[in-house]
Amino acid sequence: MRLHLADLYYLAPELAILITAVLLSLIDLFMPRNVSRTVLAWLSLAGIAVSALFVVHFIGVLNPSGGDAIEPIQLLNHSYRVDDFANLFKLLILAGSALVIFMSISSLKEEQIYHRGEYYYLFLPAILGAMIMSSSGDLITLFVGMELLSITSYILVALRKMNKQANEAAFKYVVTGSIATAFTLYGMSFLYGMSGSTNIGEINRALSALDPSFSAMIYISFFLMLVGFGFKIAAAPFHTWAPDVYQGAATPVAAFLSVVSKSAAFAILFRVVYNVYFLGPETAGMPIHSDVFLALLVLAAAAMILGNAMALRQMNMRRLLAYSGIANAGYLLVPLGIQLNGMHSSNFSELFFYLIAYYFMNLGIFAVLMVVSRAAGHEEMSGFAGLYHRKPGLAIATLILVLSLAGIPFTGGFFGKLYILLGTVRVQEYWLALVMMLTSVVSFYYYFSILRQIFMRPGHGLQEIRPTTTLSITIWICAALSLLLGLFPQWVLTSIERIFRLSTDFFIF
Amino acid sequence: MGGIVTSYLTLAAILFSIGLYGALTKKNAIIVLISIELMLNAVNLNLIAFSKWGINPSIHGQIFSLFTIVVAAAEVAVGIAILIALYRNKATTNVTEMDTLKR
Repeated sequence: MRLHLADLYYLAPELAILITAVLLSLIDLFMPRNVSRTVLAWLSLAGIAVSALFVVHFIGVLNPSGGDAIEPIQLLNHSYRVDDFANLFKLLILAGSALVIFMSISSLKEEQIYHRGEYYYLFLPAILGAMIMSSSGDLITLFVGMELLSITSYILVALRKMNKQANEAAFKYVVTGSIATAFTLYGMSFLYGMSGSTNIGEINRALSALDPSFSAMIYISFFLMLVGFGFKIAAAPFHTWAPDVYQGAATPVAAFLSVVSKSAAFAILFRVVYNVYFLGPETAGMPIHSDVFLALLVLAAAAMILGNAMALRQMNMRRLLAYSGIANAGYLLVPLGIQLNGMHSSNFSELFFYLIAYYFMNLGIFAVLMVVSRAAGHEEMSGFAGLYHRKPGLAIATLILVLSLAGIPFTGGFFGKLYILLGTVRVQEYWLALVMMLTSVVSFYYYFSILRQIFMRPGHGLQEIRPTTTLSITIWICAALSLLLGLFPQWVLTSIERIFRLSTDFFIF
Repeated sequence: MGGIVTSYLTLAAILFSIGLYGALTKKNAIIVLISIELMLNAVNLNLIAFSKWGINPSIHGQIFSLFTIVVAAAEVAVGIAILIALYRNKATTNVTEMDTLKR
């Protein structure tokens, strides 16, 4: 057991977020009613920036220049890990959340959110939950982090109290989310039962030593947890909540769910699947190992096919983006499902590179949607009509973002998909590569119908489009990063690979 | 693993299935939330049974179940609060009438 007062230093990124959340709720309480709450947004951004600086500092501490990397720090009886896997995820989560908060400044009235103080500081516990998820090395820690994120997201979706659609979306989200939690927990209870421990490393050791007669129970635990995590990452066939919730929630909240919740769930799925099921059962001579990864690949293929097929018929942009998010969950599942071996060990960098690209292209397109739907008064695709003639600059930024989503060369999305595709070819899962290419081609249809609206429809006689400053800045940051990721992919990829080492940063012993 | 834990596991499995069935089929939103509680309690039963009679008995299971109880309470509190907001706007707790979002 280890938690001295000095170890609180290693929890600095989490503590920064926690302290900001508590302080902001107190400030909001004592602030006069008529003072603008925008100052709370800036304060929460400051808290996120401090936290991100600490994360960068720890990446530097764990990877001293010139020397060998040091062992990751483990706290609280190995239940909390400060390693590069967690740090990279945390950095991405913090950057994404900061953009979400930044883009919602001065747009909350249009989003029908009247509890502005609460809106800003409710993001912070959600971020904290996501950070705990990516850092956890123990089932209990993982569960608490996951619930902190989930419960806060339920409230964020329900914040549009007067809107019937939002109420309904929030209720559906609570019910499906809680069922997913119950499934995850039920799977975890079997893992605990077989090992007598909740520590992921110890579970792995205990499973390796188990009698083969327990393999049925190992399968049960895996599939129950897969259902639960499948809900959280919104992979088909567990995706049905996503379109409804994205449609009902305020647009920035939908953007938050589509990037931050999804990536945090990917972090725990990655960690649990590889640590519990990859090393252990193999040594016990059970076939479970290959079945587990086949199940992940089937889930990935189902998400790609269903997500892209359902997106074809959507006219509502939020539902379209929800289905595109489901398809992207499928692409992101591929690096998890293709096995690690001597020939192929770059699963993490493939996943993480596409995750970075996905973050910025998705946040950017949600920001564009906020601008466009505010001018049009609805969220149908026809709101984009003639955007090029009405606001050429915005149309160019949207073009970059949509091309990145579709995966056209020299954008981040293209190289992300390419690396994942090369990975599948290297482990000779050709059927999956085929599914991935075909579904990507299908996705061109609906992404290009957005572009058709923008460039080939007349724009005269339509409302003027006036994006707020924060929204334009967000859109341009996202578009520029999507383009830069496409122009210098090797630089990003090598830095990920320099920071992350599979043996020390990922596997829990 | 002895015979005694198997009966606990069976009971938990039955409870979990009843809960899942209720959550997926019942019309009344309150009953849906109660069914979810049933699923979570099946998990608690599992954890406690394993921590007493499992192949590696330990205290961790009981601690895990305490966490589960606390978090489930928080979750259902938020669920009820959302249901109240919905009821104020729509005056119904019937889940079949919650269909304004497009299929």
